Amino acid sequence: MVNADASPPRVFRVSGLTKTYGSFAALSDVAFSVRPGEVLGVIGPNGAGKTTLFECLAGVLPCDRGTVTIDGRALTRREIAAEIFYVPDGIAPWPAQSVRWALDYVTGFFDGRADRRAEIERQLGLTDLVAMPIGALSKGQRKRVAVALGLLTPQPVLLADEPFDGLDLRQSREAAAALRAHAAAGRTLVLSIHQIADAARVCDRFVLLSNGRVLGEGGLAELSALAAARGVATSPQDLEEVFLALT
Amino acid sequence: MPSRRSAFWWLVEKEWRELVASRAWWLLLALVGPLVGLSFISAVRTYAEISAGAGAGCGVVCDPLIGIWGPTFGTYELAAVFFLPFVAIRVASGDRQSGALKLELQRPMSMAARVGAKTLVILAGWVATYAAGVVAIVLWRSYGGSVALPEILVVLLGHTLNAALTIAFALAIASMTEHPSTAAIITLAMTIGTWIVDFEAAVHGGWWERLASYTPAAMVAGFQHALLQVNVTSIGIVLTLMAMAMAGVWLHLGTPVRRRIAQSCGVVVAALGVALAAAQMPGYWDASETRRNSFPEPAEEALAKLTAPLTIEVHLAAEDARRLELERVALAKLRRALPRVKIVYTSRTSTGLYEQQDPGYGEIWYDLGGTRVMSRVITEEGVLETILGLAGSPEPDESEAPVLGHPLVAQPAGAAAAFYGIWPAVVAGVYWLVSRRHV
Repeated sequence: MVNADASPPRVFRVSGLTKTYGSFAALSDVAFSVRPGEVLGVIGPNGAGKTTLFECLAGVLPCDRGTVTIDGRALTRREIAAEIFYVPDGIAPWPAQSVRWALDYVTGFFDGRADRRAEIERQLGLTDLVAMPIGALSKGQRKRVAVALGLLTPQPVLLADEPFDGLDLRQSREAAAALRAHAAAGRTLVLSIHQIADAARVCDRFVLLSNGRVLGEGGLAELSALAAARGVATSPQDLEEVFLALT
Repeated sequence: MPSRRSAFWWLVEKEWRELVASRAWWLLLALVGPLVGLSFISAVRTYAEISAGAGAGCGVVCDPLIGIWGPTFGTYELAAVFFLPFVAIRVASGDRQSGALKLELQRPMSMAARVGAKTLVILAGWVATYAAGVVAIVLWRSYGGSVALPEILVVLLGHTLNAALTIAFALAIASMTEHPSTAAIITLAMTIGTWIVDFEAAVHGGWWERLASYTPAAMVAGFQHALLQVNVTSIGIVLTLMAMAMAGVWLHLGTPVRRRIAQSCGVVVAALGVALAAAQMPGYWDASETRRNSFPEPAEEALAKLTAPLTIEVHLAAEDARRLELERVALAKLRRALPRVKIVYTSRTSTGLYEQQDPGYGEIWYDLGGTRVMSRVITEEGVLETILGLAGSPEPDESEAPVLGHPLVAQPAGAAAAFYGIWPAVVAGVYWLVSRRHV
């Protein structure tokens, strides 16, 4: 496993990623780059293909074609697994087990970051939940546990599907702060977010996905310029307007 | 800081915790005790009646292997069919349903290790249920009953192999299906399928009969008589490994379905090839105290000296009781003692009811290197006498000590309390303690 703290900065690129279900194209030639240590938001309406994209990248769903490269070198499936960890949305893994055990298990099973354990528990407000079975947690609590599990893994790139879904405003802000802190420490984060306000709060750059296609990639200013180029004037400060203009 | 324990052992611990958290397993544990007890109590009473009736000279009739351990451990066959698959499906499908599988698959690890960890743990959970059988053995000893350890070990080996096969198939099916209820339906359908094969074999014989000799029920039947056969055991192991490999193929969610189908076909073809080769493997160990699965040793030595090819043509229908008796007491033993023997069954109908008047019905033709003789005798002694007479071999020395048997007139004292009261109470108590300390 690669430790993010020890890895040199490398540009991670996805190219030509395509996934079809019969005649329906869930992803069409998806391509984007991820810069080291950034928080990249994959934003798009429901059904845009965000989850499919993440599952294909994590290797838990077969894709038709596509490559992942680092600094121009194509990675094998095993190498991708050493680079990327994916936290799915809506999971309650090992529901009969306690949060404490789940955190221990992920740390042990994935050779994870035991040194960050206490910090992650504190950042995500799990300290009082550690003795509870995961199956007994609320949706928001499960989400925080899932994010914590992801943050404990050693891969340099963490994909999290809807990490703020089910969290209240305060929890969203705390989770966003935790994710930003980990990005600042060198972890690269790719977050699928359908709540544009959440995305604007936490992400450095965005990939705008709609109907399985990438409609734009870049910071808020770049996406705003893209919208302007298409004849729609938007405020360069308002991601929601840009999103509506481009989708 | 890297963990000192390997990922595999983390996985084994996880599977064990998931098994212990599963109510299906506790229910299996709780039910096995009373079921084993019911069979044991009934067997002890019947054994006492037979012993009292036959007296000291009851011989092979008073054999605890058949009278006590057959029915008592036979409960495990039922449990393996009706309870165990659901425990395995619960463990396998739980990961898929909760999303844990998607997390765990991201740790590079061989599928053999993933499926092996699950199988190992569920099998350990199954072996824990043998505690009920051990209670029965202890009670039987306390009544003054005879216990032949090799016999019991072979019986338990058979049930363990059957459990491994059941677990592996349940895991494979659970891996192929999205939902546990679908997996449960398919598993039950497979069980019913094997019953149909057994039924067709009994009615039609022929290929059905050969196929039926490899169903789990047939496999267990040999072990229940303390017969350890190399071919049957090997085929059981090969089929278990095949199902585990299938589970591994289908757990790999990132592999396209077409490729998984192709890989599954490859696994099945390879396994069937190995199983066919294993079916030809001779060798067996008759662990029964009374050598009930073998001819007397002098007769076997005389048979081993036969060099000419032996063909036996039996004119009896598949459902004719004489054919079943002939197969049980003589021909099954003959196949093991003389693997190159060729046995052909011929009949017009499956029941034989309307063939009784046919000329030749009921005849058994023996052909040894072109010399033919006919007999209608279906006893072990009659068959041996015919074959050895045909070969011109001298009568084997039958001076072996007669089997006296182990008659025992005893009532199952304390068994009802142990199996119907103490066992469920202990299981419930341990469950309560474990569930409190589990998280």
